[in-house]
Amino acid sequence: MENLFQDTLLQSAGSEISISRVLRKLPETMFILYMLIMGVSAFTIQPEEHPGAAENCQFRGKYFKTDFRVEGEPVVLRCPQVQPWLWTSVSPHTSLAWRKNDSARMVPGKEETRMWVQDGALWILPALQEDSGTYICTARNASYCDEMSVELRVFEKTEASLPFISYPQILTLSTSGFLVCPDLSEFTHNKMDMKIQWYKDSVLLDQDNEKFLNVKGTSRLLIHNVSVEDAGYYSCAVTFTHEGMLYNVSRNIELRVNKKEEETIPVIISPHQTILASLGSRLTIPCKVFLGAGTQSTTMLWWMANNTKIENAYQGGRVAQGQRQEYSENNENYIEVPLIFDPVIREDLNTDFKCFVRNTLSFQMLHATVKEAASFSWGMVLAPLSLVILVLVGIIWMHRRCKHRSGKAYSWTMFKTGH
Amino acid sequence: METCRCPLSYLISFLLFLSHSETACRPLGKRPCRMQAFRIWDVNQKTFYLRNNQLVAGYLQGSNTKLEEKLDVVPVEPHAVFLGIHGGKLCLACVKSGDETRLQLEAVNITDLSKNKDQDKRFTFILSDSGPTTSFESAACPGWFLCTALEADRPVSLTNRPEEAMMVTKFYFQKE
Repeated sequence: MENLFQDTLLQSAGSEISISRVLRKLPETMFILYMLIMGVSAFTIQPEEHPGAAENCQFRGKYFKTDFRVEGEPVVLRCPQVQPWLWTSVSPHTSLAWRKNDSARMVPGKEETRMWVQDGALWILPALQEDSGTYICTARNASYCDEMSVELRVFEKTEASLPFISYPQILTLSTSGFLVCPDLSEFTHNKMDMKIQWYKDSVLLDQDNEKFLNVKGTSRLLIHNVSVEDAGYYSCAVTFTHEGMLYNVSRNIELRVNKKEEETIPVIISPHQTILASLGSRLTIPCKVFLGAGTQSTTMLWWMANNTKIENAYQGGRVAQGQRQEYSENNENYIEVPLIFDPVIREDLNTDFKCFVRNTLSFQMLHATVKEAASFSWGMVLAPLSLVILVLVGIIWMHRRCKHRSGKAYSWTMFKTGH
Repeated sequence: METCRCPLSYLISFLLFLSHSETACRPLGKRPCRMQAFRIWDVNQKTFYLRNNQLVAGYLQGSNTKLEEKLDVVPVEPHAVFLGIHGGKLCLACVKSGDETRLQLEAVNITDLSKNKDQDKRFTFILSDSGPTTSFESAACPGWFLCTALEADRPVSLTNRPEEAMMVTKFYFQKE
């Protein structure tokens, strides 16, 4: 849409355009309509109605961003209906007016010297805390009028204000990267020799610093080999001269330092290819994947039955995938997704179950086949037997212990948690 | 050990290390999550957000940062992903019409996309890493890369001249 938008705009900025060509495509037609409505088209034939009185103005809501600035500095509020780069094509046909929400009066007022409108933007210089509030921009041309509001909050220039006014920026540990001084275009416009001063925790960053490089003619600060200690609050400032007065324009940045998560090639370490199970019993087959130091987040793990998704193959849920578990042992990462049978039936013995793992580096698969366990197994006999013996031994042991050391209730607790 | 409503059989399994009759009693878990949220920001520290339903890149301060759009990512193949926003309900696509190639947000569910469907290819992006940053080339539009303008608040788009200084095609791309 944007390319269309820009193309059409560029064309409209020119003197001639084939309307029939534009009308061929619906999106472009819609854009033309949009422009008619906005009254920003350079070639619209204006209808004569719509006097554009303020009471007929359509209010289009509040701009989604709030401007957070500090007192004593210049503030520029842009009319949100008009993007700054469109202003030159719009300005011959549109007038912009500003007013503050809590007062009907227009800004700047007659006596006002701190505020003026320049290229459709409202300048406040220097801003005061009481300038905080909602400002409404009215854009009007011969055929149309609309309004949008912008919120401005002016903070005291203190450290306590930093969390409310800072721009978070993120760099990766042990790499080099840029901080960028944002939202300065009004003050650096047409200035090739922009001089930005950078500060960390209010200390000016020296030009000859090996760690930081203030990239000349740009709004960027290069930080070499980012370390954890580099995180924190930075500020950048340019000077701005108005009527012989020198003003500082500053922006605050909170640098966060991230560790980039690496991917590794995953390895499926279980299940074994053949799993023994008794028909009618429950069965869980965990698919366990080893990732080493690699991140779990980008690794997908899932089961399939005869090339069908489990949830589609067993809509009744007799066989289902269990909860994915992500865990670490000895600083090595694992993921596990179990396949749960409740119960195992004969059909499962002829089904090809597969565990798949995929991340951006690799794709792997492992077959698992369910085999019927022998109906008689020593295990099945020994199990209840050994339990009975264990319980008996336990009871006797407990009994004797309680007799000898009455009051030591913790031994029972130990017995309970010991297994 | 999980809570289990059949402790007897669990104990048996445990005592005798009977691997073949392992019992699981936890309720069936939810489906594994195939979609991951990633933060994306360009090398000039611009993050993504929506303005009039259009994805733009710029600077957010203070409470505006809650407007940041994270990318929902579903891996398709090694180094290939589907990209979406808003919980995977709006997906990024490369669309060609005439001699124009552009980035489009389409209202499709990212988990419904399939790598085997030809019409879903426009949603596929190929990742290539260089150092800490990642570039995103459209699989349907070879040579076209996800990009931002140098200026703030301009739309996120596609460029076929990634080496040009006016466009930023290198992004930090990290899991939430």
